[in-house]
Amino acid sequence: MFGIKLENVTKRFDNVLALDRINLEIDAGEFFFLLGPSGCGKTTLLRILAGFEQPERGRVLFDARDVTDVPPHERNTGMVFQNYALWPHMTVWKNVEYGLTMRNMSQHARDQKVRRALEMVQMSGYAERSPNQLSGGQQQRVALARALVIEPGVVLLDEPLSNLDARLRLEMREQLQDLQRTLGVTMIYVTHDQKEALAMGARIAVMQMGKVAQIGTPRDVYRQPLTRFVADFIGEINLISGEIKSVEFEVVATTDVGDIRGQAGYEGVQVGDQVLCAIRPETIDFLSDENKTTDNVILGRVRRAIYLGEVEQFFVELASGDQVKLIQYGATMQHAQPGDEVRLGFSQQQVVVLRDEAEDRDEAV
Amino acid sequence: MKRFDLNWPTLIFLVGLVGFFILFLFYPLWYAFVQSLVVDGRFTFAFYELMVTSPVYQESILNSFRLGMITTIATTLLSLPLAFLLVRYDFAGKGFLNGLILVPMVLPPFVGAIGMKQMFARFGSINLLLLDLGLIDQPVDWFGGGGFVGVVILEVLHLYPIMYLNVAAALANVDPSLEEAARNMGSRGFRLFRTVTFPLMLPGYFAGAIIVFIWAFTDLGTPLIFNYRQVVAVEIFNSIEDINENPMAYALVVFVLLLTVFFFYLSKATLGSRRYEMIARGYISSGSRPASRGMTVLIYAAMLSLTGIALIPHMSVFLTSIAERWFMAVLPQETTGRFYTMVFEHPMSLSSIEMSLMLSVLSTTLDIVLGIAIAYLLTRTRIPYKGVLDAMAMLPLALPGLVLAFGYLAGYSGTFLDARHYPVPLLVIAYAVRRLPYMVRAAYAGFQQTSMTLEEAAQNLGASRLRTLFQITFPLILANLVAGGILCFAFAMLEVSDSLILALKDEYYPITKAIYALMGRMADGAYLASAMGVFGMVLLIVSLFLAGRFLGRRMGELFRA
Repeated sequence: MFGIKLENVTKRFDNVLALDRINLEIDAGEFFFLLGPSGCGKTTLLRILAGFEQPERGRVLFDARDVTDVPPHERNTGMVFQNYALWPHMTVWKNVEYGLTMRNMSQHARDQKVRRALEMVQMSGYAERSPNQLSGGQQQRVALARALVIEPGVVLLDEPLSNLDARLRLEMREQLQDLQRTLGVTMIYVTHDQKEALAMGARIAVMQMGKVAQIGTPRDVYRQPLTRFVADFIGEINLISGEIKSVEFEVVATTDVGDIRGQAGYEGVQVGDQVLCAIRPETIDFLSDENKTTDNVILGRVRRAIYLGEVEQFFVELASGDQVKLIQYGATMQHAQPGDEVRLGFSQQQVVVLRDEAEDRDEAV
Repeated sequence: MKRFDLNWPTLIFLVGLVGFFILFLFYPLWYAFVQSLVVDGRFTFAFYELMVTSPVYQESILNSFRLGMITTIATTLLSLPLAFLLVRYDFAGKGFLNGLILVPMVLPPFVGAIGMKQMFARFGSINLLLLDLGLIDQPVDWFGGGGFVGVVILEVLHLYPIMYLNVAAALANVDPSLEEAARNMGSRGFRLFRTVTFPLMLPGYFAGAIIVFIWAFTDLGTPLIFNYRQVVAVEIFNSIEDINENPMAYALVVFVLLLTVFFFYLSKATLGSRRYEMIARGYISSGSRPASRGMTVLIYAAMLSLTGIALIPHMSVFLTSIAERWFMAVLPQETTGRFYTMVFEHPMSLSSIEMSLMLSVLSTTLDIVLGIAIAYLLTRTRIPYKGVLDAMAMLPLALPGLVLAFGYLAGYSGTFLDARHYPVPLLVIAYAVRRLPYMVRAAYAGFQQTSMTLEEAAQNLGASRLRTLFQITFPLILANLVAGGILCFAFAMLEVSDSLILALKDEYYPITKAIYALMGRMADGAYLASAMGVFGMVLLIVSLFLAGRFLGRRMGELFRA
């Protein structure tokens, strides 16, 4: 099992910078996620690990071994392709056996390992089927067995669940997590689905335009996003722009809707910085009681209420014209109705003050 | 909702179409089949017995098999490496080389044979050149074995582009991630090719191999020119004269037909059930990579030398056509343009050009009408038994021209369509039926690429269905229709087996038959024939070029199985 280290990995496709000086360290046995929108370079990074692409600059290390120039067939990585890439001219058994045959393993050992691998993914009964007789979920499992049977140093998963329907996806998430835990194998998982990454990942690298925007646990990246991009990409967030007014006891920003107190989201916050106050919709409350107060209070009028069963969403227009989204749980009681004048309160703990960078503003969707 | 769109006009057209197919596709084949089994009202296997027992027929069948096999193997060995180079590498001029591959196809192989015979004769250019250079001291008998080698060489040089198109398409269709998965599992090089790439290419390769095999097996013109008479195609051709006394030809035709059916059945049975384009593609890696400088040089060297060799027949035809005197010399001693003038003066060549033009215009018109109608029915309506209609329209692609032409000649003998009296109707129909698949494919592709919402928008605004068809659909798919039409026309102009078999009177000879007849008749027949060959070549080049302009890169798709 490998620990993996990427040093300054850079890759260019026809003058487009696909990866820009990527530095990453992934521990042996870790379940690591590469998360980002399409075109952010996450799949390219995975393919560089598998050896299908060569970095233009930088090094790839498996443990201490420099594998930058090692061809794919000598890397001992097990890849699960997005489309599974099961060979249609071979049975399920032959598909799984292939990697062992390439390793010149004895027939006896091969039989044993293939049988165990198929058992592991609960596909024992399908050994003689051809891949196109299988459902998407079953194909997915065979692809997984094929990658695991060679006892790879690292398993590379390229959006493995994206072709499955929603329910199956949830089921496979759990199975994958269990497998990873039992086998203790290093797994690198590429996805654009933030929910998947939050739900399964031990650590997540959020990628943007060929760079790593942030690395951290799901809790970190959700609660303490480092950039507007990360805040926007993971979950939903309200952004209110303003200017830093004071940094003495707490960070305070002046905005069109009054002062907002929050946590510094970047180092070296200075008075006069142009900033964005990022507030998650579920951390804002209606202050129904006139006298009740909290760290931050802003005023607005409810434009729309969307009842979703377990939660209810509200869109509140502020005096500045901005709209703020709220999510209220326990939507049994009626919080507010369109047209209501409301007071919104949120604690200073829940506000991350981010640098308002021009380039970020262009890229964020 | 009704299950099918069947109104009276559609129904009448369908009935007419089925009638047409029955009359001009199934009946002739059935007729040959019956004639081969029934003599004077009695059922007999005598001819099939004779086919197996008679040394003459045994020899012919064996020779045809050898011709087919060797051609198939040789074209495979040529096309596989070529396909790998051109599909897997990116380099400057890739499109140009891809086009270059098709160039040798512009000459029917039997016309090339005329030139080749001149060049490779005992005292032809090649031997004289080698003698001059002191490389040999005896003239080499290049086409030893009674012409077999010559026939093989011409078939290979003519057919490798078709093999290439199929192999290259098959290779390009292999999902790159399937190969990547194999490399990820530790496979590489030839082992990777043997265990993953080639098995995945197999359906496409097999389809190409069948076409090439059947083509070489049934080619009539080339063996005739080389006077290599012991092959099935020539046996059938020779027995046309005395078909009423000797029905052996029927058995041979049925044999060829069954062989064709068998091969296509085999490919369906073994490969048809495998659908390889099964899963949506994930990360699209193109599967090709930039070629290094050295690799580019290698690719160009390989392609240019191969094309150079493949164009020797063309060159030799051209040289022959301008030779005033060409005797015991490497190149013609004197050149002349008089054979080109002669093409338009000699009664046979002139009338053959007029004849070919008329036949091709008529057959192309028929193809366009039928092709558009069939493609429309297949793509835009719900009619019962669509698959059957599709299969019927595509069937002629698999059917050797020799078999169909023979069926026409025999099946309609003694009727008002008898080719011995007036071959024009049957020639037009034969040309049309043989090229119909190209037109259907071209139109089909057009209809498919044109979103139905564009038509629906017009109908929504009040245009009738017919009006929509003419004002919206046809303008949008015009390029496809024109390209399909040009191809039908060009191939009709240079159709060989139909013309050789069906045109039996001088005044009805089309170009190809005239070339063949002139070869045998006049002292300088070969020169005049070559001039006509060059004329045909130019015609085909211009047509293919035009069709290519209209169809763009999809051109190659028309030649694949």
